Amino acid sequence: MKPFVLIALAAIAASAQQTTQQKPPAAGTPKDFALPAAHRFTLGNGLPVTMVPFGQVPKAAIRLVIAAGNVYENKDEIWLADLTGNLIREGTTTDTADAVARVFAGMGGELGISVGPDTTSISTEVLSERVAEAVRKLADVAQHPRLPESELERVKGNLLRNLAIQRSSPQALAQERFAQLLYGEHPYGRLFPTEATLKGYTLTQVQTFYRTHYGAPRARLYVAGVFDAAAVETAIKQSFEGWAGAKATDAPAVPAASGRQFALIDRADAPQSTVMVGLRVPSASHKDWIPLEVTDALLGGAFGSRITTNIRELKGYTYSPFSQLEPHLGQADWVETADVTTNVTGASLKEIFSEIDRLRKEAPSVGELRGIQNNLAGVFVVQNASRTGVIGRLAFVDLHKLGPDYLSTYVKRVMAVTPEEVRRVANEYLTPAKMSLVVVGDEKTVKAQVAQWAQ
Amino acid sequence: MKLAFSVSVVAVVMGAAGITGRASSPQAASQATAPASGSRLRVPVDYYKLPNGLKVVLSRDTTSPTACVAVYYNIGFRNEPKDRTGFAHLFEHMMFQGSANLGKMAFIRLVESNGGLLNGSTRFDFTNYFQVVPSHVLEPILWAEADRMRSLDIDIENLKNQQEVVKNEVKVNVLNQPYGGFPWIDLPMAANENWFNAHNFYGDMAHLDAATVDEVRAFFKTYYAPNNAALVVTGDFSPAEVKAWVQKYFGEIPAAKLPPAPDLKESRQEKEKRASRTDPLANRPALGIGYHTPDRLTPEWYAFGLLDQALAEGSDSLFYDELVRKKGLTGEVSAGINFGLGNMFDYSGPMLWITQFFHDSSVSSDALLGALDAIVEKVRKEGLDQSALERARVKMRSDLYANLEQFAGFGRANLLASFALFDDDPSKINQLEDGFEKVTPALLQKTAEEYLRAGNRTVYVITPGKTAAQSEKEAR
Repeated sequence: MKPFVLIALAAIAASAQQTTQQKPPAAGTPKDFALPAAHRFTLGNGLPVTMVPFGQVPKAAIRLVIAAGNVYENKDEIWLADLTGNLIREGTTTDTADAVARVFAGMGGELGISVGPDTTSISTEVLSERVAEAVRKLADVAQHPRLPESELERVKGNLLRNLAIQRSSPQALAQERFAQLLYGEHPYGRLFPTEATLKGYTLTQVQTFYRTHYGAPRARLYVAGVFDAAAVETAIKQSFEGWAGAKATDAPAVPAASGRQFALIDRADAPQSTVMVGLRVPSASHKDWIPLEVTDALLGGAFGSRITTNIRELKGYTYSPFSQLEPHLGQADWVETADVTTNVTGASLKEIFSEIDRLRKEAPSVGELRGIQNNLAGVFVVQNASRTGVIGRLAFVDLHKLGPDYLSTYVKRVMAVTPEEVRRVANEYLTPAKMSLVVVGDEKTVKAQVAQWAQ
Repeated sequence: MKLAFSVSVVAVVMGAAGITGRASSPQAASQATAPASGSRLRVPVDYYKLPNGLKVVLSRDTTSPTACVAVYYNIGFRNEPKDRTGFAHLFEHMMFQGSANLGKMAFIRLVESNGGLLNGSTRFDFTNYFQVVPSHVLEPILWAEADRMRSLDIDIENLKNQQEVVKNEVKVNVLNQPYGGFPWIDLPMAANENWFNAHNFYGDMAHLDAATVDEVRAFFKTYYAPNNAALVVTGDFSPAEVKAWVQKYFGEIPAAKLPPAPDLKESRQEKEKRASRTDPLANRPALGIGYHTPDRLTPEWYAFGLLDQALAEGSDSLFYDELVRKKGLTGEVSAGINFGLGNMFDYSGPMLWITQFFHDSSVSSDALLGALDAIVEKVRKEGLDQSALERARVKMRSDLYANLEQFAGFGRANLLASFALFDDDPSKINQLEDGFEKVTPALLQKTAEEYLRAGNRTVYVITPGKTAAQSEKEAR
């Protein structure tokens, strides 16, 4: 990939009235930053492999990303992907779960299985001298899971407990309802199953989910860190070449957005209200994605952003407000989340909407925008400064099919966004009248405060 | 499910405040450590002191064009005034409110608009401030850190604002959260006898409200002096340049007369303690157990680190195998020395090893504790078998590397700062692997025998349900 140079910051926002203040010394010249070079090849069964020699610490990360996330669950299968992932941890056809755990631990790693909305990842991070061996073991786990009936009830019990604990947190309740409001019956709208649904899953359902969603045509393999490239490539070929498994399928298409909705969930006597405000926006592959990222950072994503400055640093309504863009397949959403003191719930929402409105009307100054652009450029370098960070970025690009130049041109495109473009994007996509709103809080105190948004 | 708690304050790495479920962007962890020499990691350590007493550690790493600046003050929440609980943490917030040459928000904007990330946090024995930045902006960042060390600007408006922010922080992390404060505040409060180790570190709401501008100013003058601090710079930089900047910006800041350090000593615990509370927001019981650990950097402490690995870290651990996999009493094991607030290296003083479990009401905490005792008693009598000991060492080495790599050089800076502040010797970072290597099976067993005694522990139980006050209110 092409190296690029970070653009140096010129203007630093300093308050103009205090002329006696000293100015910070100027920054130096940015150093070249080259993304680590990736070696890519595809196995005969269609499995794309990306190997990235990276860093100096004698460790490497391995991640197998499979199109087996929650988006592939049917309506009556919520968390079946999670149950399947957790059962894959319970041993292979030749090794018991405790033996597998000891093998990974002996290599300095741990078998990790994480189930997300779009993909499931099977991963580990081991000491350099054990990478080829870890690849083989990971391949065995992915291709030959035991899926033991004997562990099904216990693993379900753990998921039931996790479900109950998650649903006792106001943030999780807000997220659950917000997802429903934005995505309705689509899998993106279903965060949690009922206890009864979860209890009812059978081993046959797990086996079927595994059979139809785990396979080379649905997977990608990444290795990053310090490792013997030749030995690891051989291990990959030998241990993954024979994997056929499930064919690729499309995730269900997201239906059109249904417009603004409101929900107030009572949490009696809660000292804070958890609020989520947002709406659906174009996906990561859309031409306006990078301008949207810049707009999000300026509005609520960065610590020095407008909403955070307003409701935290000026008003003291909250501790950790933040906005974010959440990318999905062919779709994304933007949301501002904040836990605000109960008696200023309405006042906080008013300020959030006023900041959105202000940005939709008036382009930011060049200086404010440049600061945010530099921030995104710097964060991008930091994100690419670790093994798992490098894999995360590459997997993001592959999942959303952003093309081979996406990462190498990212900073350039961030820096090219203009003030007027930020205003346009805010105006076009962040329309308050279309935003859904979820409040989890003390209904008797909050209801009147949020009445104006409740219609 | 993982409940990660931290008293981390300026939530710049947003989403840190208990948000689960929505996957966020790829984690920005770090690449930053020195090449291995033989099988040992050697972290470069360039250590010196300015005439005003400021400890300076430089550690170069050119893996990526980034740098981390970390300033650690030798004042944590243990040491705060008795009638002002939560003061150290409240003060930490004030360090982001402006200094002589940088108004409110200007420090934050300086870092962010230069492509950096920043945060601060209050821990047992230090308060830290750090920035991860592209390495060419080191000079303005060092200037800004020096500016607030020299001339923090404290006014009533900003204090009032941050009192509200901190109260909101306590609400979101403790008061409106199931298991809030468990076990990281609950267990030290129950297990320790010395007030310094046993008070509410986040602070009483009334105490937070009572803090005055004069108190904040006095606290700054007393503790935020160069002779009570360590400055660490890691990353891709020219050491000569950085040394010149450090001299130029920090060299003239006057030293302060430091008050004597408080006596943090805890006497040997002889009898098991029990504590519990009812949590109206929780719907599943939880069990936390805290054992007092051996003193930091002693041979027994190294042995205890390996005991933690063998007993409770990872799905190969003895606890996981028995309590999760074989008996199904719980779904996950979480444990650590300095659990929830740091690691086994970044503190100085009495400390607990905490292990915690969430479980169903159909499983009693005594059943869980009984099963745990069977494992612990076996290790106390017999120690570990050779393969388990070797696996513990490999896991420890791998964990240590992970620690050093955390967040673009910050993990390494954290260890260097701790060894500089507490031990006046940051090169101890390169002796850790040896320390773990030297642990013999006999030492491990003797350490287990003494420190994993039931009499050395506190058992804390969270029971879901209504509090007494709620039940009374409803009965009326």
